[in-house]
Amino acid sequence: MPTNVIMPALELAQETGKVLRWMKAPGDTVRKGEPIVEIETDKVTVEIEAPATGILRDVTAREGDIVPVGHTIAIIAAPTDSAAPSSLSPPGSAPSSLSPQGRGQGEGPSGQGSDGRVKASPLARKVAEEHGVDLARIKTATGKIEKADVIAYVEGQKAVATAGNGRGGRLVAASPKARRLAAERGIDLRGLTGSGPGGAVIAVDVPLTLPSPQGGEGVAERVRVAPQVAAGERVGTVWRIMAERMTASWTSAPHFYLVREVNVARLRSWLETARKQTGARITYTDLLVKLVGATLAQHPRVNVSWKDGALERHAEINVGLAVALEDGLVVPVIHRADTLGLQDIAARREELVTRAQAGKLRPADIQGGVFTISNLGMYGVDAFSAIVNPPQAAILAVGRIADRVVPVNGQPAVQPTMVLTLSCDHRALDGARGAQFLGALADLIEEPLTLLV
Amino acid sequence: MSERELTYGEAVKEAIAEEMRRDPRVFLIGEDVAEAGHPFKTLVGLVQEFGTDRIIDTPISEPGYAGIGVGAAMTGMRPVVDVMFGDFITLTMDQMVNQAAKAHYMSGGKIKVPIVFRTTLGATRRSAAQHSQSLHAWVSHIPGLKVALPSGPYEAKGLMKTAIRDDSPVVIFEDKMMYRVKGPVPEGDYTIPFGVAEVKRAGRDITIVATSSMVPVSLGAAKLLEDAGISAEVIDPRTTWPLDKQTLIDSAKKTSRALVVDEGYERYGVTAEIAAVIADGAFYHLDAPVKRMGAMDVPVPFSPVLEDLTVPSERTVFEAARALCRR
Repeated sequence: MPTNVIMPALELAQETGKVLRWMKAPGDTVRKGEPIVEIETDKVTVEIEAPATGILRDVTAREGDIVPVGHTIAIIAAPTDSAAPSSLSPPGSAPSSLSPQGRGQGEGPSGQGSDGRVKASPLARKVAEEHGVDLARIKTATGKIEKADVIAYVEGQKAVATAGNGRGGRLVAASPKARRLAAERGIDLRGLTGSGPGGAVIAVDVPLTLPSPQGGEGVAERVRVAPQVAAGERVGTVWRIMAERMTASWTSAPHFYLVREVNVARLRSWLETARKQTGARITYTDLLVKLVGATLAQHPRVNVSWKDGALERHAEINVGLAVALEDGLVVPVIHRADTLGLQDIAARREELVTRAQAGKLRPADIQGGVFTISNLGMYGVDAFSAIVNPPQAAILAVGRIADRVVPVNGQPAVQPTMVLTLSCDHRALDGARGAQFLGALADLIEEPLTLLV
Repeated sequence: MSERELTYGEAVKEAIAEEMRRDPRVFLIGEDVAEAGHPFKTLVGLVQEFGTDRIIDTPISEPGYAGIGVGAAMTGMRPVVDVMFGDFITLTMDQMVNQAAKAHYMSGGKIKVPIVFRTTLGATRRSAAQHSQSLHAWVSHIPGLKVALPSGPYEAKGLMKTAIRDDSPVVIFEDKMMYRVKGPVPEGDYTIPFGVAEVKRAGRDITIVATSSMVPVSLGAAKLLEDAGISAEVIDPRTTWPLDKQTLIDSAKKTSRALVVDEGYERYGVTAEIAAVIADGAFYHLDAPVKRMGAMDVPVPFSPVLEDLTVPSERTVFEAARALCRR
């Protein structure tokens, strides 16, 4: 905002001052403290310093003019204040009431004694110093400055400053509970409309993010916000979200399970070949991501969600991986898994797991999953039934690879096998469709080469 | 179980009588407590059973008999000191605050002061400004004193028996307007632990913490709120010290809103302490500032019309709770 240059009162009984000489011209850039104009009173001639840094404008007092004390003789505009309204009083006009810009430096006794020193109480000096206020800018009715005058000036400056930036305060008005919920859900309070007192955001104004079709964003924020589990019975936010989501799934999605044992002899040799060829640390999980992606591409009917009484089909094939953390479960997503090569999948998987374990998943890392793979094989689990990760339609539970006795050509033989359990949301899938998908996946696992044809 | 009902006053008397029969060290001292059976008729018949050695009438000198009580307690007796009106504790303050409350601490635990100060609170009895105050905040402020506020006949008996058996000085404030109110009171021995709040009514939308006389008022308000579609939880702390902070905090966490109602003066009052406890413990679960309601910032008027306006009522508690819930 612009700062006024006023005719100062340099003496006790001074009523007017004469502009002797402008040392700067309108449009000049001036620096605070730099002499800009020479003023003459009955007794002295002084140089007046610029009260602020900016551009000198609206110079209304010409050289030789005699101007009443306290009247504005020019404005120093901030470099950005191009066309700020002038608050000038024409020279010689009757004293007017204070304009907003003139607050604290307009008309009125100046608090300066005949020796030019400001008359201020010691306490006022101390307070002014603490607030970085120039006492010469504070005008009082009596001419003496006390603490209250300094405080009033500081408050006035603050009010002007906040009015200027268009916001009432530092914080968005919101209840503590609303703040906590917004933080947990990764929602910016500034985007919400409050229904509380004075428009304050209260709990009901903070939208629930879970379960949401795009999943994840809230979870990501949560991973970042509160990854710690306190001792004892308390759980971290990640754990609590997991509990809420699993409860929502278990109580609203009717589950059914399809179980299939698959021979992984060829998968095993494929893994060895792939590791040799690429030199990358490819895992069974990576192969499964690749094969699940390919199977989903063949069976788009499985790539769906049940939402508001209708099926929502997804264009992209984004495969989530259940990752266990100290404080709960997260499901980072490998996007467009059907289009990625094994090396890319492995790299992406490693990156996601590292970030998940560091609690540094980004929203994009967990958004958009349409299908989840949960592999507990490394824990020696033979088979298990997973809970569907809403709003997805299915989750594949992968058991360990073990040598098991299987019939080969009518004879018992020992082969590496793995038990897959597909959990489906019966609102989105039926048994036949689920079985077709699982069958196609099993075929691919048992003969991965068909990927090539 | 018997559904026997007693009045609040009868429940107090039964507690004192049972404890006097159980423990010969218990005696009662105060003004008009023997032949007169107390101006509120709460002690009628006790002097006939226990005699004037154990139901002791004194001259009108609260500082005197309070001091006798404290001294007797220090020597091993278990006195119940009757201070007719809560307003008169201004006269017994030194005995309570500087003697009874301090002796155990300052003697390195060698002296116990197992004394009960029995007094009253509550306005709307048309007793004017010097006989209508609820000054329990004064003593709740003092380390070394326990403060009980029975909110009905059941509590009146159970808390009195706990107070008499407690080795610390206890001040019990009985609601003088409730002496004739009837309620179920078990026969025989039972006590109510100090520092354990009771959820008088479970609810979802707002927690109303109410003490003593304000418990029935708040339960009435909760009924009105129910008709307005607001489910209020009403909690009676029963003792302001020790204070069952956890129950209050847990409830506020559950409902997200809290209103504290107490008949003492609102400023610097019991409501302030409880509101601060809730704000501190449940801050991130609150959806509105904690609201307090107490007696108005005036000496209690003698005019009935004005007096009734100075303390919270079912209607004002209802309005305040509804406003907090923004419905």
